[in-house]
Amino acid sequence: MNTKQILQTAATLRWQIGQDFHEKLMEDIYTNAAVLADRAMTRPDEKPHFDFDRKLDQIVTSRIWGFPMMILLFTLVFWITIQGANYPSQWLATIFLEIGYPFLKNISTTIGAPWFIDGLLLDGVYLATAWVISVMLPPMAIFFPLFTLLEDFGYLPRVAFNLDNAFRKSGAHGKQSLSMMMGFGCNAAGVVAARVIDSPRERLIAIITNNFALCNGRWPTQILIATLFIGALAPPALAGLLSATAVVGVTMLGVFLSLAVSWGLSRTALKGEVSTFSLELPPYRPPRVLQTIYTSLIDRTLIILWRAIIFAIPAGAVIWLISNITISNISLAEYIIGWLNPLGFLIGLNGIILVAYIVAIPANEIIIPTILMLTVLVSGTNGDAGAGVLFELGNDGTKELLLAGGWTLLTAVNIMLFSLLHNPCSTTIYTIYKETGSRKWTAVATFLPLAMGFGLTFLITQLWRLFGGTG
Amino acid sequence: MIDPLTALLIAAGLTGVIITIFLPEQGLYPRWREGRRMTKRVQSEDALKFIHKREMERRGSTVESVAGVLHKRMDKTAVLLTIMQKDGLLTIENNQLHLTNKGRESALHIIRAHRLWERYLADKTGYTEADWHGRAELREHEMSTAELDALAAKLGNPTHDPHGDPIPRADGEVMIIAGRPLPATTCDTPARIIHLEDEPPIVYAQLIAEGLHPGMNIRMVESTNERVRFWSNGAEHLLAPIVANNITVQPIPNLDDIKPDETNYRLLSNLEIGESGVVAGIAPSCRGAERRRFMDLGILRGTTITAEMSSPGGDPTAYEIRGALIALRENQAKQIRIQSPEQATQQRATRWIAHSQGI
Repeated sequence: MNTKQILQTAATLRWQIGQDFHEKLMEDIYTNAAVLADRAMTRPDEKPHFDFDRKLDQIVTSRIWGFPMMILLFTLVFWITIQGANYPSQWLATIFLEIGYPFLKNISTTIGAPWFIDGLLLDGVYLATAWVISVMLPPMAIFFPLFTLLEDFGYLPRVAFNLDNAFRKSGAHGKQSLSMMMGFGCNAAGVVAARVIDSPRERLIAIITNNFALCNGRWPTQILIATLFIGALAPPALAGLLSATAVVGVTMLGVFLSLAVSWGLSRTALKGEVSTFSLELPPYRPPRVLQTIYTSLIDRTLIILWRAIIFAIPAGAVIWLISNITISNISLAEYIIGWLNPLGFLIGLNGIILVAYIVAIPANEIIIPTILMLTVLVSGTNGDAGAGVLFELGNDGTKELLLAGGWTLLTAVNIMLFSLLHNPCSTTIYTIYKETGSRKWTAVATFLPLAMGFGLTFLITQLWRLFGGTG
Repeated sequence: MIDPLTALLIAAGLTGVIITIFLPEQGLYPRWREGRRMTKRVQSEDALKFIHKREMERRGSTVESVAGVLHKRMDKTAVLLTIMQKDGLLTIENNQLHLTNKGRESALHIIRAHRLWERYLADKTGYTEADWHGRAELREHEMSTAELDALAAKLGNPTHDPHGDPIPRADGEVMIIAGRPLPATTCDTPARIIHLEDEPPIVYAQLIAEGLHPGMNIRMVESTNERVRFWSNGAEHLLAPIVANNITVQPIPNLDDIKPDETNYRLLSNLEIGESGVVAGIAPSCRGAERRRFMDLGILRGTTITAEMSSPGGDPTAYEIRGALIALRENQAKQIRIQSPEQATQQRATRWIAHSQGI
């Protein structure tokens, strides 16, 4: 037989063997391995333990108790986070801002430090970074361990199991509910948490839509604006309820949009990505408390905090520089605000807010302080603080200043929506890039919410004005 | 400042413009791209493919029929075909078109590209059945022989595309499918689906919806002019004859060739909560990443699976598989074929006897 004949025979045999013989061969190998393993292995009787799991599962995933239990547990987690974070946040603010900042300023004045130390480093970089740490660290340090404990116990996969139906209908994976919930703490952590989704398409969807979960850096903005502007519409007794409803409403809009965008993406841009589903419901086990706290602090909190600090440093410098570099006695910030004002007006915001959102890309936490600082800078009512120095006021003072800056109810509504729908912070963008390894998907995740934010606020503003609202 | 109504109208206008330009398929930009794609080369390749197909069906092709397939005016088609004749791809005699050897070679290259690409889409991407054909139609004109060989090697030199059509070999040899349309099958004779025609898409969509796939066994129950009724994939199917005509089947000559678990099974999705079943196999339509995932989870012939609980929405359902609790969605559970534990024990016994007797 010569080579040609051999090849010919091989080709003929190949036709005869039929299609999918690779699959069949592999399946037989797997099956034989399983049979051999079954024969060689004896399993200790684990029945009783298993029965307890089933009983618990029947309650946790039941039609009647499943969802109320879930809502109750997560409300509890959020309540503990918000309440618990208050005190450490205040301590950190006291140490860094009320004691540390004047102390450092004193030293620099005494030794007569040059502007780039006194202004750029202290007023700019130090203040912005200290701000981010004191607002960001405590909630993360509480939320992540709590969340990880629920995960370790085995409850979170059951949540994904309960919610999968809704996510399946929008072309996503049930576990996206978990990365979304993680996103309520921090979007960067939520993007990392999307690793638990092993199907490539659904994982990308979860990463791209994570920004629609209001993160820890945006909750304070929502709550503050809702309290000052929305709550004020109702009689004092109902003010709290109304502002809370407004915040919950924005959150729900975020959840709805994340499902809607998932639906759209899975049918268009992500159609060709490989998609599989499987969800393991591991046995319940007592959570390993100390280990969990340690790993969630190291893996989640500290890594994200570190990234946030890295990005907050240049942001602080930029904020200080644009407020202090002047051309013919007008600061750079004022020029940019002037240019952006027409665009801001079109979407019911103003130049100050847009500038704040640009310089505060590194951290949503400093949006409100930046807006306040810029408002003072522009109105020239140079309060207690100098240009480029972030500060915070009490509720009344903030509202007074914002009203003086030309804010209306429309501005408040729009900023709540824009805070939900804008680009993710730079930490998150960087994390998305690290996780997907793709510039294209990073760009989609960045600009899609921004475009949606512009569209929605534009629509609301113009309709508002059309039907006679002021603003 | 700008009047809100004007602003809204301008925005609506802009949105409208963007939609008209970028709307998939109907938008100006996709159409412009489609127009650019339809170059002379692509058109002549499409013509070659069509003439080859008619030759395989032992039917002739005319200038009119080619014009119809290319959606092109008669005179322009005639010009195109004349150029192709000059290039030595075909001959025109009495309005009948015949491929030359060179023409046939080039037609086979396109068909090979088309079918290999469909195989690729089916095995390696998340596109669904309905998307395969259209995407392959675009891609088939863009691949060189070297690229095709590389793709074939990457896919493990597949012999058939996902519809059951044979993929021409690199040397141009192609197997001819010898089967007959499903309605012509006699009742109660077991047969195997060897091909599903993917054109027109609307009929193909119906076949997909029925969950049919090449490699499945069928048993005809009733075939009349009004309807075709048959068993396949653990359920009875009812199709209009015109739809059933797009299914090609081959009788299974030797009944012993059918393993019992290939015909007599239920689907995992039909398991009641608390009920157990033994895996008989995974449906041939389940391929690529999904199939591997199933095997990784230990869903293999002989594995016992118990339905444990369903989620509050009814889907997914959690199954106990080899001591682990795994949730699967309904459309996945439909891919897994099971038997009752008694059936499985019986079969294992028969196999064991056969094995020990050295059969």
